[in-house]
Amino acid sequence: MLFRRKTLQEAIDWLRQEEAVRSNIIHWHTIPEKKADTVSLPADIAPELAAALKNRGIETLYTHQLAAYEAARKGESFVAVTPTASGKTLCYNLPVIQSIIENEETRALYLFPTKALAQDQKSEINELIQEIGLPINSYTYDGDTPANIRQKVRKAGQVILTNPDMLHSAILPHHTKWVSLFENLKYIIIDELHIYRGVFGSHVANVLRRLQRICRYYGSDPVFICTSATIANPLELAESLTEKKIKLIDQNGAPAGKKHFVFYNPPVVNKPLNIRRSAVLEVRRLAGEMLKNKIQTIVFARSRVRVEILLTYLQELVKNELGPKSIRGYRGGYLPTQRREIEKGLRNGEIYGVVSTNALELGVDIGQLQVCVMTGYPGTIASAWQQAGRAGRRHGESLVIMVASSDPLDQFIIDHPDYFFKRTPETARINPDNLVILVDHLKCAAYELPFKKGELFGQTDVEEVLEFLTEERVLHENHGQWFWMNDSFPAHNISLRSASQENVVIIDISTTASHKVIGEMDTFSAMTLLHEEAIYLHQGIQYQVEELDWEEKKAYVREVDVDYFTDANLAVQLQVLEEDQKQEKEHVTFSYGDVAVHAMATIFKKIKFDTHENIGSGPIHLPEVELHTNAMWMSLNAELKDLSEERLENGLIGAAHSLKAIIPLFAMCDPNDIHIVPQVKASHNQKPTIFVYDHYPGGIGLSEQVFNQLEEIIKQAAELIHHCPCPSGCPSCIGTETALHTAKKDAYRLLEMFLTIGAK
Amino acid sequence: MGLSGKLQRMKRHIVREETKEMIEKPVVQQLDFPHMDEWEKAGAKPYVLGDQWCLIREASYPLSFQHGKHQFSEVKKAVAKWNEWEGTHPLSAKGLAASDLFFFDTETTGLGGGAGNTIFLLGYARIKEEEVVVRQHFLPAPGNEVALYSSFLEKVDYTTLVTYNGKSFDWPQVKTRHTLVREHVPKLPSFGHFDLYHASRRLWKHSMESVKLVNVEKEKLDIARVEDIPGYLAPMIYFDFVERKHPEGVLKVMEHNERDILTLITLYTHISFHLLQEGNHYTSRERLEVAKWLSAVGEKKLSAGAYQELVDEQHEEVQTTASHALASHFKREKEWDQAVNLWKRVCEKGKLPERIEAHIELSKYYEHQRKCYGQALHHAEEAHRLHNNTSKRMEEDLIKRKKRLERKMGV
Repeated sequence: MLFRRKTLQEAIDWLRQEEAVRSNIIHWHTIPEKKADTVSLPADIAPELAAALKNRGIETLYTHQLAAYEAARKGESFVAVTPTASGKTLCYNLPVIQSIIENEETRALYLFPTKALAQDQKSEINELIQEIGLPINSYTYDGDTPANIRQKVRKAGQVILTNPDMLHSAILPHHTKWVSLFENLKYIIIDELHIYRGVFGSHVANVLRRLQRICRYYGSDPVFICTSATIANPLELAESLTEKKIKLIDQNGAPAGKKHFVFYNPPVVNKPLNIRRSAVLEVRRLAGEMLKNKIQTIVFARSRVRVEILLTYLQELVKNELGPKSIRGYRGGYLPTQRREIEKGLRNGEIYGVVSTNALELGVDIGQLQVCVMTGYPGTIASAWQQAGRAGRRHGESLVIMVASSDPLDQFIIDHPDYFFKRTPETARINPDNLVILVDHLKCAAYELPFKKGELFGQTDVEEVLEFLTEERVLHENHGQWFWMNDSFPAHNISLRSASQENVVIIDISTTASHKVIGEMDTFSAMTLLHEEAIYLHQGIQYQVEELDWEEKKAYVREVDVDYFTDANLAVQLQVLEEDQKQEKEHVTFSYGDVAVHAMATIFKKIKFDTHENIGSGPIHLPEVELHTNAMWMSLNAELKDLSEERLENGLIGAAHSLKAIIPLFAMCDPNDIHIVPQVKASHNQKPTIFVYDHYPGGIGLSEQVFNQLEEIIKQAAELIHHCPCPSGCPSCIGTETALHTAKKDAYRLLEMFLTIGAK
Repeated sequence: MGLSGKLQRMKRHIVREETKEMIEKPVVQQLDFPHMDEWEKAGAKPYVLGDQWCLIREASYPLSFQHGKHQFSEVKKAVAKWNEWEGTHPLSAKGLAASDLFFFDTETTGLGGGAGNTIFLLGYARIKEEEVVVRQHFLPAPGNEVALYSSFLEKVDYTTLVTYNGKSFDWPQVKTRHTLVREHVPKLPSFGHFDLYHASRRLWKHSMESVKLVNVEKEKLDIARVEDIPGYLAPMIYFDFVERKHPEGVLKVMEHNERDILTLITLYTHISFHLLQEGNHYTSRERLEVAKWLSAVGEKKLSAGAYQELVDEQHEEVQTTASHALASHFKREKEWDQAVNLWKRVCEKGKLPERIEAHIELSKYYEHQRKCYGQALHHAEEAHRLHNNTSKRMEEDLIKRKKRLERKMGV
């Protein structure tokens, strides 16, 4: 029989009819088509620009584009909330190009979170400029900019497209070479604002403080134009990043195609333990079906490891129909040339499928994909919508399948579709005054220009820090000013991206004659992913770590072919240093303050592909890592006579597990940004205590947010346990680290105690 | 706990390597103009502008002073020679007097370019009627840069900078730091620039491992430094001075800077004599580099003359390279006999790429000038044999050439 390929519509019908698939679909949500809301072009647009827009098929604007244009032209900074494919680039390109046509001295600085995005947007703006036919210079400025055109970019570039890292390490420290930019800077564009949260956002907020300080020095006061995906607090985030008064533009006038959003829960394979079939295996089946029919599909997975596993599976599955080259992996750790090749293949249709981490969530224009499959809930509502936007970007009908994992948050979301479709998304938090980050950027700022007495850094009084740096022999005070007095170049020691300041370089030693660097990883992740004997996956190829040189921060890996992957444990100790806030009730104390964390990688497990069973383990020999950070903790003062210490411990572990699952619903963070540790007798008060701490020196505001919303968080965690169908605990509620059958009941009881007693 | 308490606790996360090499904290808090007696002894005087100040140190040397291979007076001779010379060259002082030259060097608090790399010493030397005058402007503490640059710029009347790597380091850094005080000090004038680092690299990179100024001094100019402070220590010494105000270390740095500047005079003299073929104590390799340089700047006739003098050198490599270059010159001038003789010589003893080129040139000559296709084919075949498929394009060219010649011969 001849194999006939299914269309997307037939693939949708297949989902609805095939019993083995249909029975796992928990919820089918159809988002109807939405019509465009348009207005005519503003009257003051230059005729050349209007004509160019017309030639490109744009005769009207969406309402939000007009609002953006008017605000920018009035000199009002704003943030536009723009879903995928809503024409956000015109929100900034229009006012910028119009202003340059009116006055060629005008300069605009575009910031994109990645180099790839800046490249992509350069093509877009240049196409428009070419259409206009006026000599407007727009350039990307990044590590790839050839040395011989750099001077021209600095002097004559009217639109500079770059990224925060480049601004931080190459533009600001050399501001004297950019005088014409800074003297005439009228617009600063911050695209993908929602990416600037947590550690990265806190760094970028400080880079923007430095940028505005330099602008003031050269006498410019630029307008900020930000665009953001849907998050709970775009305005607050924009205002804390820029420390400017910002206007919110959130009525979206763009049309959207019909979208099917399918919630898929893998079947339970072990009833007593409530264990479900692995999401990875389900995705292999669903995405495989789409790809075999040549329906362009993007698969998202949360971790690099899962991306690599899925890639291997899918390439194997379709190798006869499409050939392995037609399905590619895409993730942050790849080298730029590999990434660009993949982006190109997607655009010109040589590649049918992509398996990606959230690197592709960002607005890189990769053209039309029909189906999006998520391996597990991506962690935030904002992220889920961004990923879903990858399917049917250009207004056609599209299909999104979210396959839940056993993870409690996934199970919570899949059981509460209303929560997902109706609730406001998460809050993005930054903490620009995190001491570690602040001090780093104060050094850079002092290098760029001396600090005057009484000068604020953003809104922050930094005199004490300047005095500290003077004591440390980095600054020198004279005539009421602080001067940089050191022979180093501070920006080179500071990375905006990674939690720890040093990265481990990964070196492939498979070929003796030619060792080569294939990637890098931050030190904290390296403890659990690059320990000796770990299996590290890169582009679907397995490597075993042969040696981890912790001193030199180098991991030597060799290509292997094994049927398992590895998973490591981290043991953590906590010590309270200082209590900043405290709510004391009769039987419960909630606190927020500073803690010292001591973390050590202990053992790793080998887990078999396909069955995911544990087939061995081994110790990890790495030194302890110390971290000073912010934390919130809750202690029970009540006597718990009927609970043995063992039951108490199991109950606390279970409660902590469910809390960890629920917290990302409130604070926008990656699962690794926040850590939870239960203790039967906390060392500072000898009481049963659960700690929640920020996984970054000095904290980035996450545990503070948890402290502020604690009641709601505990309530949802208790609800998660209460509604889980398992009899005595499973990975989807209290986790698998508990040993007693009473753990589920006790965890629920403990959370209730924290709640009822705490609420009084 | 207050902020300073937190800072102390977070210190491990905050303080990095960059502070490790710093010096112990001083005990004494100093006033302005400290240790003035020692400064005066060294020839330095304060310059005050509003509430800022800097130090200016002057020293002079008679023109008869012998610094390495040359006396300072010889720079006047070099400038005079340039003025007599018929050609043009990037280092030519044609139209200038020796007093127009500004031998310039700086000391800074760091290595890279960047807004925070402070210049704390601007030093230069001028050639006067009777003497060489060295002037150094010193920044006694940050925050006095208006005084530093005002004092430096107010008497500037030079036309040409002479530096060592000043094109890519010193002068851009002066521009950077000047930008920071540009509203309070005179504008930076425009000027010519002789960068002797690039000149030295051209002449000596084949014979020296590193063309650093100290190495050039030692190996080419017969200058030996005694008790010299290595340049890389200058930032540390300056940071210590800013804390303790004691001039001892800084005076050593100034001495080092003065030496560097004086060496620029000797070096400019030396390289000029080289280029002008003054004297006869140069190696054949150096003379070859001079000829190449003349050719590169478009002085075809002068370079041909220089090559001519090298075609009978003992040094085989120099001889054939010069012959090959000279043959190209004769080809341009259509003096075929001379060109052919030289090519033939290159075919015998040149380096491989030169031999191949010479065979190709001969093949062209016999084909187009003499219509002697047999000879032409012979040289094309020789070139092809030597070439041995190392570059695809040349391989294709040679095959095409051979085919054409065979066709013309009617084979």
